[in-house]
Amino acid sequence: MLHIDGWNLAITIVNLLVLFVAMRIFLFKPVQRIIEARQEEADKQFKEAAERQSQADELKAQYEQSLEDAEKEKRTIIKEARKSADDEYQRILKNAEKTATQIKQDATTEAENRRNQIIKMVEKEITEMVVNATEKMVGEKSGAEADRALYGKFLDKAGDES
Amino acid sequence: MGDLAKKLMEELECETVFTIPVFGGIDISESVVVTWIIMAVLILISICLTRNLKIDHISKRQAVAELIVTKLTGLVEGIIGPEGKAYVPYLTTVLVYIGIANIIGIFGFKSPTKDLTVTIALAVMSIVLVEAAGIYHHGVKKWLHKFVEPVLIVAPINILEVVTRPLSLCMRLFGNVLGAFVIMELIKLVCPMVVPGVLSLYFDLFDGILQAYVFVFLTSLYISEAIE
Repeated sequence: MLHIDGWNLAITIVNLLVLFVAMRIFLFKPVQRIIEARQEEADKQFKEAAERQSQADELKAQYEQSLEDAEKEKRTIIKEARKSADDEYQRILKNAEKTATQIKQDATTEAENRRNQIIKMVEKEITEMVVNATEKMVGEKSGAEADRALYGKFLDKAGDES
Repeated sequence: MGDLAKKLMEELECETVFTIPVFGGIDISESVVVTWIIMAVLILISICLTRNLKIDHISKRQAVAELIVTKLTGLVEGIIGPEGKAYVPYLTTVLVYIGIANIIGIFGFKSPTKDLTVTIALAVMSIVLVEAAGIYHHGVKKWLHKFVEPVLIVAPINILEVVTRPLSLCMRLFGNVLGAFVIMELIKLVCPMVVPGVLSLYFDLFDGILQAYVFVFLTSLYISEAIE
């Protein structure tokens, strides 16, 4: 119990050192190495995830931007279309108005012409009738020769007309 | 009573198991042989536990190995602090060794720590480690200067500490293990039924592990004091 032996002391110290080295080689080092490796792996994965996240954010921003652009473009196109449609409408309306005015004018002119023609005709007829009547009255008073001439004329005329 | 004393002495006496016939015969004591057994068991378990370790999809065996290593090193690192990380593997080894040596009596072996030679060896290694750590971290000059801090008059006490610290370490461990053993033997003599079983939990298991912890705790404390 209380016997202290130098050799055994030395052997025990060597034993402890050997045990320490062995434990270090067979237990602490491998486990620590694997834990560190796992930590590294985890760090790597975290980093990758962060990278992917930022990439996704970027893509999302791009996508939103393009969506916004499309919206803007859509609005521009609709506006332009509306404007051109409006212009077309105005143009058509103006055209129609113009055409209508033209037609109206033409019609008026035509009517005027016809009226003038009719008036001229009627005037001529009346003049003729008056002349006839006058000639008739004059002929009765101026004797048989005139009568004859007039009669001849009348016959010619009647012959022409029939 | 005479029988008991004789039996106790017999139990406590560290017998020579065999003699190596060199240098005029080296007597190998029982404690050394039991230490070899403990070493063999520890190394075998370590090799078994750390066979083909993987990063993911770990086996239960690996989980156990990692748990043991992280818990034990965490425990020691908690005492010594992050600066003394280099000393953690040695202290953990000592913790495991003393712990097993203290409770190996349960399996019918004679505890190596019941042999003063072993506790002296442990204490000598501890003090060598403490002083080496001091020299390594501060250099010889500053290490020597530490003996006269805070005032010159305490120098003898500081020098004395180099001897008293390992002495207290070795005697505390030896005394506790011896005391626990003697008490258990006495209890077994007085009341051989049930009671020894219950008390054995305290004196053999708890006290054994506690003493291992105390030894490592104090050594860690000395080291962290030396390197600060």
